[in-house]
Amino acid sequence: MLAFIKLENVTFSYFKDKNAVKNISFQLKKNEVAALIGPNGSGKTTLGKLIIGMLKPNDGKIFIDGIDNNKMTLGQIGSRIGYLFQNPDCQIFTTTVIDELAFILKFKGAPEEEIKKNISETLELFDLADLQNSYTFNLSQGEKQRLAIAAIMMGDPQYLILDEPTSGLDMERKAKLVNILQNLVQSGIGMMVISHDRAFIDLIAAKKIKMLEGEIIEENC
Amino acid sequence: MIFPVEIKNLHFTYPESKKSILNGIELRINKGEVITIVGLSGCGKSTLCYCICGIIPHVFEGDMQGEVLIFGNSTKNMKLPVISTNVGIVFQDPDTQLFSPTVEDEIAFGPENLCVERDEIGKRISKNLELVAMEKNRYANPENISGGEKQLIALASTLSLNPQIIIFDEAMSQIDDAGKLKIKKAIRDLKAAEKAIIMVEHDLANIDVVDRVMLLKEGELTGFKGSLQ
Amino acid sequence: MKKIADILDPRTKIVMVLCVSTLAVFVQNIYILFSVFSFTILITALIGGNLLLVAKKIGKMWYLFILIVIVQSIFVHSGKILVKIGSFQLLTLGGILLGVEFILRIFIIISSATILSTSSSREIIQGMVQWKIPYEIAFMVSVAIRFLPVLGRELKDVVTAVQLRGIDLYRIQIKKRLKIYYFIFTPVIIGAIRKAQKLSTAMETRAFRAYPNRTSYLVLKMNNIDYWVIVIFSVMTISVIILYYVFLRRLI
Repeated sequence: MLAFIKLENVTFSYFKDKNAVKNISFQLKKNEVAALIGPNGSGKTTLGKLIIGMLKPNDGKIFIDGIDNNKMTLGQIGSRIGYLFQNPDCQIFTTTVIDELAFILKFKGAPEEEIKKNISETLELFDLADLQNSYTFNLSQGEKQRLAIAAIMMGDPQYLILDEPTSGLDMERKAKLVNILQNLVQSGIGMMVISHDRAFIDLIAAKKIKMLEGEIIEENC
Repeated sequence: MIFPVEIKNLHFTYPESKKSILNGIELRINKGEVITIVGLSGCGKSTLCYCICGIIPHVFEGDMQGEVLIFGNSTKNMKLPVISTNVGIVFQDPDTQLFSPTVEDEIAFGPENLCVERDEIGKRISKNLELVAMEKNRYANPENISGGEKQLIALASTLSLNPQIIIFDEAMSQIDDAGKLKIKKAIRDLKAAEKAIIMVEHDLANIDVVDRVMLLKEGELTGFKGSLQ
Repeated sequence: MKKIADILDPRTKIVMVLCVSTLAVFVQNIYILFSVFSFTILITALIGGNLLLVAKKIGKMWYLFILIVIVQSIFVHSGKILVKIGSFQLLTLGGILLGVEFILRIFIIISSATILSTSSSREIIQGMVQWKIPYEIAFMVSVAIRFLPVLGRELKDVVTAVQLRGIDLYRIQIKKRLKIYYFIFTPVIIGAIRKAQKLSTAMETRAFRAYPNRTSYLVLKMNNIDYWVIVIFSVMTISVIILYYVFLRRLI
């Protein structure tokens, strides 16, 4: 299967002297879960931000579905790749669960019927049916995260990047998250998880890319 | 015998809630003992911590029945600044516990509030920086150090009030492996110094040296063995 | 060798900023203003303030400069007319002059503020406290300074998150864009309130406001150089203002 995301010799630094990411090249396919692992400061979060277009590489290119991501706007990238921030609070924009799921489609002017249908399917898929009328600021960390992923999936991206999705979750919530992510993979969504939670990675990732100080030190399937 | 921490029949209900989150907690902790309280998210572990360090009832409101005794004195009758010289707490989020421009200022903050005199403050800063092995960061900006180091500074900042009881409320959940090692070492050193330590965790891998593990479920504490699944 | 910025007491720096900013606001004559401007640049460079950053920030305000030039040209008819459209005096020499004065004033005020930034916020608070300003106020200001960049970063993340959901902010019409800004507002405000709650709880567990007073580990002492700088700056500022008004009176 062809690569969905391709990195070629990507280099990036925040300040002039130190490279956060050094000459990175690898490929990500749509039918597998890849994990980007490494200690804090290894560059894994930076790499995620480079792929999603939040940062522009100083050198090298990143291709999403064959197109250079430098030539795409954030909106265009976002409709192909969903990005889950480590803090779900910064990507929940409305006050109730249902409003959050309907938010983007409503804004773009999609028909009521289509929105309603998509919402009820999504509520089921993400185990949010009981919470549909709850206020977003009363949700627990795990619930907010499920909501954020659900809302992102309402936009039909083909790939997901998740930044430290298990921080703050207990064993039960982590298992629930693994379940949901596995369901998504089965329906054809590829994903890359950035995490330092080894147990979680072992449960979900087929491909592991290890980073240290901005370089890839190990890549295995 | 007077225990550092003795909890008698503690019940607590949050104001907007109809159900009580703590139902008759009984607990006694000795000097030099490390107790770990485990349980799922939302079961009341943090609430219990807040009751011990005085945030409940002095900062957060709610219906609190029963007693929390710190060295024999009820937290209801003690002012929060007094409780803070007995009980220190390190919270989960490294970024909202530190607010001073340098590490030294941060550690001085507590004793300054208590009108401790300058020489003594200087001694406490040096002593606690040494305890968490962060002497070389004395003049660093807390924003620029790693998550694990931030938690160590938060620990040093609460230790500078000389508490005998220290609570770690999921303090390692946002920290990477290297940082966790440092925090675990600090906890071991504190145990050796005969402090009473309460660790709240939902990740069993974060538990290092411990004397007792208790499970908080449906508002009650029971002894715990085995896994959390 | 110690940097001058490290030797001077933060209170001295506050006085310097006040003096220079006062002149920037009061003086209307462009020659005197330019002298104050040159002096400020010299002092800022000596103290070690970051002049390049200031220049960059000012550079971003070029549209404001153009706006002022045009507005002043149209409504205040002074100086030689350079461009005229119908009966509108679009560009006059007087207008350009006023625009330049505006830029000079802003530059003076901002670069003098960088003098202040060479002291840490803890030192500035201590300076204010030793001047008998209540600690709580000074402390609140310092916490605000500490967390403003954090909120700024979160705002950036929220704006990015909205765009990543498929909304290209910079390509949609103004009406829709305003609507989106409303939705960005919610998570930022909630985030700020949550942080404030956590922060205040943490401070209370460290005996914040336990007593009406508090001691301070950091103690500021004014040295001779501080007194000299304060005296020189104050005398200069007052002299310039007096001379300026005398000069003005002579003209009239």
